[in-house]
Amino acid sequence: MSRVFVTGMGIISAIGDSVSANRDALINGRTGISDLTLFPTKYAGVLPCGEIKTTTDSLKEKLNAHEHGVTRTNLLALHALREAIEDAGLSQQILTADDTALIGASTVGGMCLTDELYHDANKSDNGSEYLASYDCGSVNIYLQSRYKIGGIINTINTACSSSANAVMYGARLIKNGLAKRAIVGGADSLAKFTINGFKSLHILSDEKCRPFDNDRKGLNLGEGAAFLVLEKEEDIAGKRVYAEVTGYGNSNDAFHPSSISDDGDGPYLSMREALNVAGINEHEISFINAHGTATENNDETESRAMIRLFNTPPPFASTKGYTGHTLGAAGAVEAVYSILSLYYQELYPALQFTLPIESTGLIPQLSYTSASLKHIMSNSFGFGGNCSSLIFSK
Amino acid sequence: MLYIHQHTCISPQQTFVDADIESLKESVDNKLKAFEPAYEGIPHGILRRMGKAVRMGVGAAIPILKNNTAIDGIIIGTANGGMEDCIKFLNQIIDYEEGLLAPGNFVQSTPNAIAAQVGLMTKNKSYNITHVHRGLAFETALIDAAMMTKENPGKSYLLGAVDEISTYNFNIDYLDGWYKKETVSNRDLYGSQTPASIAGEGAAMFLVNDKKEGASAVVKAIKTLHTRDEETVKTGLKSFIENNFEKEQKPGLFLTGENGDNRLLKYYSACESVLPHINTIRYKHMSGEYPTTSSFALWLSCYLLRNQAPSHAQKEKLFSTPTNEILVYNNYKGIQHSFLLISPAE
Repeated sequence: MSRVFVTGMGIISAIGDSVSANRDALINGRTGISDLTLFPTKYAGVLPCGEIKTTTDSLKEKLNAHEHGVTRTNLLALHALREAIEDAGLSQQILTADDTALIGASTVGGMCLTDELYHDANKSDNGSEYLASYDCGSVNIYLQSRYKIGGIINTINTACSSSANAVMYGARLIKNGLAKRAIVGGADSLAKFTINGFKSLHILSDEKCRPFDNDRKGLNLGEGAAFLVLEKEEDIAGKRVYAEVTGYGNSNDAFHPSSISDDGDGPYLSMREALNVAGINEHEISFINAHGTATENNDETESRAMIRLFNTPPPFASTKGYTGHTLGAAGAVEAVYSILSLYYQELYPALQFTLPIESTGLIPQLSYTSASLKHIMSNSFGFGGNCSSLIFSK
Repeated sequence: MLYIHQHTCISPQQTFVDADIESLKESVDNKLKAFEPAYEGIPHGILRRMGKAVRMGVGAAIPILKNNTAIDGIIIGTANGGMEDCIKFLNQIIDYEEGLLAPGNFVQSTPNAIAAQVGLMTKNKSYNITHVHRGLAFETALIDAAMMTKENPGKSYLLGAVDEISTYNFNIDYLDGWYKKETVSNRDLYGSQTPASIAGEGAAMFLVNDKKEGASAVVKAIKTLHTRDEETVKTGLKSFIENNFEKEQKPGLFLTGENGDNRLLKYYSACESVLPHINTIRYKHMSGEYPTTSSFALWLSCYLLRNQAPSHAQKEKLFSTPTNEILVYNNYKGIQHSFLLISPAE
């Protein structure tokens, strides 16, 4: 089985519309969480979010994306995909080849158009231009048609761990010889649907989220997209290589539809499986990009699972304090951040942290620092108990 | 090689208990609704809270889970999951102007609720994933299962697909021109010569692993395509056949997803031109059209390896060649295409 390397990256999030802009915000500890300004919801000004302050129309102009039925999620995905493809130098001919795969993730799809969907689903008029754009698959079907990508195309939805599973699926396609290269990632935009959904579960914070803080009040939703270009060892000569995808694990917590078990069985098992696949032991992990949503349940159970596996966990932090929780994009967004840490040998500060959780005492990485990093683990856990962990290596 | 050891299907036809598809159940108002069983094995309190997609998925999985408590992963394909719950929640958001809402429908609305519910009910902490790539959601799940069995010899997986007809996705697809404007019975589906099809739903589940012994069928190959060009589909099928058959050899049966939509006939004609003089069977008059019908086609293939094809499914009267290998071609909305090759395990 071939080794799999990252040769290109693209990202758009509340802290920037490129890899370099995101890195700059991370180095400088600049959050992207703010009041909503771009779409009407009664929670604008009440619940802060990681909103990308570029209007959907500006994105259409910038990307020359004037096709019928294009949604904000499509545009964010296209923005990140374009950067990743250019970064890796994939030609049109390579993209069209039948061994180039595109594996994306989304949980919102075109449901960001909550009001349009309401009218169309209830057949209140003759239909909007978005009839074919609501499902999660629509995002990658759009990207495929735009770039004529010729290999296996897939969309994964395991809630908040979706794009970690997209990375895993893409890496496995390459290892199994079903693709020579895979563009993997995810995209989600803010939606009235998800804001109200998470609100109904009482897990949204009315202030900037505070991952792993004892007084955390819940999560902030965010939006974003990120893609990685994965290539096999034989094809990377002469290319810039950011990292190797060495480990991945997927397991289910099998406890509750919307919360993680007290001992964090799912998180523990996905982290352990990722170590097994990477063939390394837990002491070799230099840093963990934690899921760290800043909900009561997640941060405590993730901490317990880390303690259970590592005894004394390595340095860790959650970047949700910068971007908010970008749901189906989170795994890919945080894969980019993990890889940036590895490539530049640096760690970024956790934001809005004051006091460690009483029962665990764990303190996240609090300052920007250069560090010698070999293996970074990135965690993503979702509703339905879907837990995934990735390991990137230098 | 992906070996199928058990296959179950809840569909608009009698496929679940005492499968008998000789007599065809008819569509009502362009909908073929699933013929749901009594769902033994799901606790009543849990069953009551389940939306139809979750119910059908869990219901179809139960006979497999009953015999195999230690499954090593749950791999599900569904384009929409619980669409009914999703729009119920959406309607509340709009109707109550973002007021205080109950989270039940929101949690049930995520497409991964089916795989999650199976995991939860069986306390299964292993690999758990949901593929949602519209008309290829089942195929990409199948590719996943094939990789898992190769990566983990000896391990067994629950592979399946579910999609439901909800009022809402019916409305959306109707407005988008995918369901017929005139009422057409499934008996007359292929003669309708108008655009669009009729709606369907169902769940099919399979126990798969890499063990030939005791298997009822094997999925030998799978290929997916995204294109609107029928010539590309034709070329794709030719190379699929070249890669999987000796020269001059071909499958015994061609099972197609023809769905009565005259706009899509060109793709089926293109494929049939590659496979002249072959027994052709059609299935969408039984299942109706939905994004994961290829899971119904895989269940039907397992059935057809042992049973005579019902006459209502035969495109022309069958000539007497043994059903050694079945090639399935499906097409969703003229963009997503797949080929599957299924044969007896021995």
